[in-house]
Amino acid sequence: MQKITTSRRGFMQLSATSAAFLAAGASFASLTGCTKAPVASGYKVLRNTDFEFITAIAPVVLGGSYPGVLGPEKAPEVLLKAVDNLVVTLQEYAQSQLIMMFDVMQSAPLRVAMDAPWSTWPEATAEDIERFLQGWKTSMIPLKRMGYGSLVKVLAMCWYSQPETFISSGYPGMPKRELLTDQPIAAAD
Amino acid sequence: MTDIIKREPVIPVVAGIKDPIRDGIKAGWKLQSATELSNDSLLSADVIIIGTGAGGGTAAEILTDAGLNVLMLEEGPLKSSDDFRMDEREAYRDMYQESAGRMSKDGSMSILQGRCVGGTTVINWTSSFRTPEQTLEHWAKEFGVKGMSSEEMAPWFAKMEERLGVEPWQVSPNKNNAVLKDGAAKLGLDWKVIPRNVRGCWNLGYCGVGCPTNAKQSMLVTTIPSALEQGAKLLYSARAERLIMEGRKVLGVEVSALDDNYQPTGKRIIAKAPHVILAAGAINGPALMLRSKAPDPHKRIGKRTFFHPTTFTFAEFEEYVDPYYGAPQSIYSDHYQWNTVTGPVGYKLEVPPLPPGFASVLLLGHGANHFQDIQKLPHLHSMIALLRDGFNAESEGGKIELSNDGSPIIDYKVNDYLWDGVVRSWLSMAEMQFAAGAKATRVSHVDSPWFHSWEEAKAGIPKLEFRSNAYTIGSAHCMGGMAMGEDQTRCLVDSNGKYHHLDNLYVFDGSVFPTSIGANPQLSIYGMACRNAHKLVETIKNA
Repeated sequence: MQKITTSRRGFMQLSATSAAFLAAGASFASLTGCTKAPVASGYKVLRNTDFEFITAIAPVVLGGSYPGVLGPEKAPEVLLKAVDNLVVTLQEYAQSQLIMMFDVMQSAPLRVAMDAPWSTWPEATAEDIERFLQGWKTSMIPLKRMGYGSLVKVLAMCWYSQPETFISSGYPGMPKRELLTDQPIAAAD
Repeated sequence: MTDIIKREPVIPVVAGIKDPIRDGIKAGWKLQSATELSNDSLLSADVIIIGTGAGGGTAAEILTDAGLNVLMLEEGPLKSSDDFRMDEREAYRDMYQESAGRMSKDGSMSILQGRCVGGTTVINWTSSFRTPEQTLEHWAKEFGVKGMSSEEMAPWFAKMEERLGVEPWQVSPNKNNAVLKDGAAKLGLDWKVIPRNVRGCWNLGYCGVGCPTNAKQSMLVTTIPSALEQGAKLLYSARAERLIMEGRKVLGVEVSALDDNYQPTGKRIIAKAPHVILAAGAINGPALMLRSKAPDPHKRIGKRTFFHPTTFTFAEFEEYVDPYYGAPQSIYSDHYQWNTVTGPVGYKLEVPPLPPGFASVLLLGHGANHFQDIQKLPHLHSMIALLRDGFNAESEGGKIELSNDGSPIIDYKVNDYLWDGVVRSWLSMAEMQFAAGAKATRVSHVDSPWFHSWEEAKAGIPKLEFRSNAYTIGSAHCMGGMAMGEDQTRCLVDSNGKYHHLDNLYVFDGSVFPTSIGANPQLSIYGMACRNAHKLVETIKNA
């Protein structure tokens, strides 16, 4: 497996070979080596660094629906918790690919090599992020298209299934549920 | 916006429903979570059934009826009607493989599959078709499948239709389904009413997130309670890690207990029985066989895996469609299905329900355009085409591989043969949508604009680029991977479901289909499992 460093030399090597290498069907694993940031407190999979990335792209991916009625304080937390709950149940292959894509997003040289913004995510402008998403969406490189598809699908699913967003989809909601008893499943001994 | 706020569900409250599972637990059924057992517990039975979906659930009732001591193993949790609050978030987390985020290796196919007691039958959309005659004939001719002609299978299908209340839907279709009917009628294409496995259905539209009224006759409310009532045992949150084998015999199953996050707790349980039935579905079943290093002289495990790759188009209507309310599937068309059995790929046309989370994924894209599309939801209709894969030499299916930790990876590629069907199906569906009065249509492809006339769509759709992940391919039908047939170089189980290379392992699920079905597969699995479970009872009694 090719080990990519974040040193200038590593970056130059990557730039020279990245196009051909990625087009040949590389995976995020082959880009990232084995970085491991600790999981954020109260979360199952996501790291603090992932929060910056996801909350930076959310308004661009989700358009005018974000942050919506949840507001700028609550919306990021609701979205991040939902993403975390989904990613933890993915099986090993899909989960590791997604986490490694998040790793790529934390390294400025790798971001540049992958045509994502050079600046940190909190500093990236909406235009930078839109350019990055459009680039991945229409890329000739399958890995980038897969990255685009995974990001937009995960964020959309996690966002539009929240009852607070029903107002933006116009979904009138599900019927109310009244139970005969309020009893959790208790297994027999 | 005030208009939106004022609207509410057609049926505003679901109340007064008894939960048969909670009642059964009170009555003393033998069921528990694997996490409650101590490490290295040893369980034994006459028959172990791995998986509680269409195949495992059906077999459990028949074998218990015959007086056998049955142990059911299920990797998913136990959820029942009091838990079904029609909320996508809870349903995907609790009852779907990988929270409904299961994907093929390259990310281009999204797979909806159940993971709970009752399996996919708890979350499917109730469409119940007998295996098409053309499919059964093809299996007999190409794979040497014996004793499964339409005539021979008819009594088994009839038995399961009776058991599960399968009948053509008597109520008017919701608007989402009416579009398919109206479009087909306008163009002079065949359409029919879908038979559904329901009793006393409220026409709510929430089949995909767990039926809150127990009207859907899933395994959860039919065969599994019946087996438990007669003393069968059920262990849930219990993943079968590997088969324990010696020579040509399976001695038992090594089980791993799973926590609430679906992660192994480290607790291991051993289950032993003289007969083992594998009914874990076409992805997890082959993965279990590969992990177990089961005998496979011709390297066929996990090969020829089929999915009915499914394409989507959307249509906007002036009036409300409310595609999330009402029986989700009630009308279908086979007009483009059987023009040829083995030539260019045929497809079945149906509609999907569109709850908001699911709809937002299918609408595929991001930003202002995607937001505009999701805002149309109450006026949106969607149609789907299920491509009948596996009948042509250019459609060999995908394969199941193992990840580093032994979990399955699904490698399935859309090739030129299937792409031809993708484009034809988009065209067929857009034409029907305009014929039914759509203002505009769009296909589920990131480059697709909204087309405002059939002429525009006819010119624009063939120009959409064939590149992976640019378009949605979905699947709710996992089939193949352990083909049934008498030709042992290509098939792994015989026509009665016995594994060719082991003496006491039986496979009763969709993984034995040598091709896709060409229709929603649940009744195909019920009928075949019913037949093969009865044959197994005879085998055991005569031994």
